[in-house]
Amino acid sequence: MEQYEPESLSAAQIAAMRRSLTSGRGALTRRSLIRASGMGALAIGGLGTLSACGIPPAKREGDAAAASDDHSAEEKQINFSNWTEYMDVTDDGKHRLTLEAFTERTGIKVKYTEDINDNVEFFGKIKPQLAAGQDTGRDIICVTDWLAARVVRLGWAQKLDASHLPHAYANLSAQFRSPDWDPGRAYSYPWAGIPAIIAYNSKATGGRKVDSVSQLLDDPKLKGRVSFLSEMRDSVGMTLLDMGKDPGNFTDADYDAAIGRLQKGVDKNQIRRFTGNDYTADLDKGDIAACVGWAGDVIQLQAGNPDIKYAIPGAGYVISSDNLLVPVKARHKTNAEKLIDYYYEPSVAAKLAAYINFVCPVDGVRDELAKIDRAMADNVLILPDKEMASRSHAFRSLTSKEETAYEEKFAKLIGA
Amino acid sequence: MTVTKEAPPAPVTAELKVRKPSTRKRLVPYWLLLPGILWLLVFFALPLVYQASTSVQTGSLEKGFEVTWHFQTYWDALTDYYPQFIRSLLYAGTATLLCLLLGYPLAYLIAFKAGRWRNVVLVLVIAPFFTSFLIRTLAWKTILADGGAVVDVLNTLHVLDVTSWLGWTESNRVLATPMAVVCGLTYNFLPFMILPLYTSLERIDGRLHEAAGDLYATPATTFRKVTFPLSMPGVVSGTLLTFIPASGDYVNAELLGSTDTKMVGSVIQTQFLRVLDYPTAAALSFILMAVVLIMVTVYIRRSGTEDLV
Amino acid sequence: MTQQQTGGDVRLTGISKTYGSFAAVKPLDLTVPQGSFFALLGASGCGKTTTLRMIAGLEEATTGTVSLGGQDITGLPPYKRPVNTVFQSYALFPHLDISENVAFGLRRRGIRSVKKQVDEMLELVQLGDFAKRKPHQLSGGQQQRVAVARALINHPQVLLLDEPLGALDLKLRRQMQLELKRIQTEVGITFIHVTHDQEEAMTMADTVAVMNGGRVEQLGAPADLYENPRTTFVANFLGTSNLIEGEVVSADTDIVVAAGGGKLRLPTDRCTAPTVNGGKLLLGVRPEKISLAHADDADVIADGRNRVTGRIVDSSFIGVSTQYVVESPAGKALQVYEQNIERDARLTPGAEVVLHWNPAHTFGLDAAQDIDAGVETVEDAA
Repeated sequence: MEQYEPESLSAAQIAAMRRSLTSGRGALTRRSLIRASGMGALAIGGLGTLSACGIPPAKREGDAAAASDDHSAEEKQINFSNWTEYMDVTDDGKHRLTLEAFTERTGIKVKYTEDINDNVEFFGKIKPQLAAGQDTGRDIICVTDWLAARVVRLGWAQKLDASHLPHAYANLSAQFRSPDWDPGRAYSYPWAGIPAIIAYNSKATGGRKVDSVSQLLDDPKLKGRVSFLSEMRDSVGMTLLDMGKDPGNFTDADYDAAIGRLQKGVDKNQIRRFTGNDYTADLDKGDIAACVGWAGDVIQLQAGNPDIKYAIPGAGYVISSDNLLVPVKARHKTNAEKLIDYYYEPSVAAKLAAYINFVCPVDGVRDELAKIDRAMADNVLILPDKEMASRSHAFRSLTSKEETAYEEKFAKLIGA
Repeated sequence: MTVTKEAPPAPVTAELKVRKPSTRKRLVPYWLLLPGILWLLVFFALPLVYQASTSVQTGSLEKGFEVTWHFQTYWDALTDYYPQFIRSLLYAGTATLLCLLLGYPLAYLIAFKAGRWRNVVLVLVIAPFFTSFLIRTLAWKTILADGGAVVDVLNTLHVLDVTSWLGWTESNRVLATPMAVVCGLTYNFLPFMILPLYTSLERIDGRLHEAAGDLYATPATTFRKVTFPLSMPGVVSGTLLTFIPASGDYVNAELLGSTDTKMVGSVIQTQFLRVLDYPTAAALSFILMAVVLIMVTVYIRRSGTEDLV
Repeated sequence: MTQQQTGGDVRLTGISKTYGSFAAVKPLDLTVPQGSFFALLGASGCGKTTTLRMIAGLEEATTGTVSLGGQDITGLPPYKRPVNTVFQSYALFPHLDISENVAFGLRRRGIRSVKKQVDEMLELVQLGDFAKRKPHQLSGGQQQRVAVARALINHPQVLLLDEPLGALDLKLRRQMQLELKRIQTEVGITFIHVTHDQEEAMTMADTVAVMNGGRVEQLGAPADLYENPRTTFVANFLGTSNLIEGEVVSADTDIVVAAGGGKLRLPTDRCTAPTVNGGKLLLGVRPEKISLAHADDADVIADGRNRVTGRIVDSSFIGVSTQYVVESPAGKALQVYEQNIERDARLTPGAEVVLHWNPAHTFGLDAAQDIDAGVETVEDAA
């Protein structure tokens, strides 16, 4: 068995780890907590008494207030906030080729910042400005769909001008066209799709194939060596599918049943942990034999360990996505739209997909990607075929009330 | 009025000044305290007040939160999450004890036996801090891996049978068990124990050991009656520096533990960032703070080290 | 140790201590008679403390043995030796109160009821009211007495005192010297007292061993050492000596030495150095033995006294006496202490004078030695 050492992590694992500590519910940095409270401290301003310091409603009413003065014409620039390891770079790390090509073509400078480590943490970071109707200093942000849904719901995203997005409009994969939280993609465009699938280490399972959530939860051979994701929508969504329910359309009772099903797995020690991306190292070593994992991680793990296998459950799989949004009061909306549209050109999208290994939401990329890497073009985890796409299910968007209640229940399930 | 501009008093008036210090002079100490007080006010008192306020609010993200003096939140938080509270205190306490047991001999060796290697060893003690907390904790996943050498040895020696029976580990594995979390806590906070211990041991006059030996105390008795009592300030500050952060820690529980080992830090984090239930998160923070504060106060009182500090 | 209560002499045989290539104590033999007050006197770094620590067992001897009442204790750790030490800085236990500090040794030997003994001991050192105080609440002198009490309560066969008065101011030191002497007389235990203060050693001790460079230079009763120093070091370190270098003219019952243009004599039995006619010799005389006469009165000086002529370069009045520094062909800076009985007003700096003394007060030393050995420098005095 290969020894896992922190020093010798592959770039992919590091990327995975960074993302994980984070996009998994285990946003692990102390920073996030401190920030959350520090931000609160500053927000109180002229505090008089305890009762004087409630938290004002976050929602902004009316699009008029949200619209910003667009300075795109006179300021040829964009501020783009994205996740780490989410943009193609050259091996020496000095050049972001697709971005540089964009600047060359349009003359628009892109200030690219990798300052998103965690959805909830990032939300905490931008919340004060957005809630106060101020510019966050960012023209494009990239957040996971449930947070994108929240931002749209709160009226913090600008409506995009379809006339600036010809490629995006034409090439967006059908699979991503109409999420319930942004029908017709008025506010957002996906950057990458993130399928949750079943992954296993065939050496650890003794050559056994693992291909359903039921097996994860019931197979005694896997006892104590199964992990689920601490991302509520992925774990519960996969369980709902396994139980014959649709994560895009379920009731409170269905949700409770799925939680109950998972709780049983916890209670009988079948499930070892709920993880962020740190499952990748465990799976690689075989401490975790099988799990619900993210497709992009699995592709990267497979590159280094032939024992890593994946399965798409017969019941289907849950797909989430990271989405580009233009926040209210952003100064360069038109420029931002140009950039979004640029990444929907198949040749550009192919270059990006070849680097980040997540599902490419752009149609017509196959030939371009095949030029870069034949095998990648055939990988349904990057370019889903029709059959693959048809088995994907998005978790329905939740009301604020549901979100709180469901997260609370899920928190109890995972121990906190 | 500015303090800095004040010129030294002329010789003629010097006598007068000494007898009756000007208001200015009397205020100097307070002006000097100002930065500290401001710092405390902005970064400690205000957040605290804000948290206190948050903890008695109700509402939602959309509608906003309002102070409704809903103290029920405290009770609910406590009844919902008391296992995590007890667990936090238990794990932190165990880790603190282990840190003391491991750290004391080490600090003793550094203080009295390391000679010219002293500084080198001290640097080694804090060397782990040069890597990130997360990476250090992740390293423990390798150390305690299911198929790893440590688990193999413990298995062969049937240690894991005993610890499993005690509920510290589970069926031949250490990872994702209380033991792994306590190991991680112990490892991560060990330097916080060693450094104060070292400082207080190092301050002990070596002649006291000689005096004790001269007065018929064997080396063991000398340790029991002289060295250890004199190192109590280090023991107290070391245990506090270990216990307090350990009881609020959640990284170790997240990475090395399982659903059954979550500590209250995780709960607070989840409530704050995920569930967006700010009142519950604030209430939990307050309860944790109060519990730790009470424990620490009682502990300091009982240890009776005021004379030695 | 109870069976040893009758006690005995402390005997050091060929004992030495080297640190690497540095010999702190060169092999030495020393016997301290039972019940005596014995002082090890020397400048810092002379090996006196190391010697003491070897007796206490705090330092391992490189060679040689330590025996106590005929029993070899060289190999015993400190806690098994029937000796106790009063440390230079007292080394009181800061976390224990005074009575617990004093009781420490008794408790370690398993004695339960210590109160009576502790109270008695605190009475002995006059600290009865301080039993419940902590050491840092006491003055230096009080702490010092606690240290003595803490050691004495164990009825050691030997009490070792390592510069016990070093940290006290002069007045208190004097007082404590008498105090310690009183206690020693009262309890009758052998005291071995290490000090760099020659006055302290002479005041307190029955026997003084003067140490220098890791060896004992001379050992004897204080008066004997003072009157008959055998080396320039002892002559200079113990009090002040005027050392005059001269050439032996004749040696009979008296030795006659030519020095500074005149002739000086001394009784043969007061000379420890071998004498050869024409050979060099150092003559010594203590400042207080010398009388001073103005040059005009030279004729009235009785015959048979040693005389040296010179000129006063400095004088200082210190109450009971006046100290003069006289420049003469015999020596650059001869010291003379004159009792202030009948002061001669002519004796001021610049005055020509005659120094004269009884030849019997002269001692002779080997001229091969460093004439300034043991002279107290400013640094030592501090």
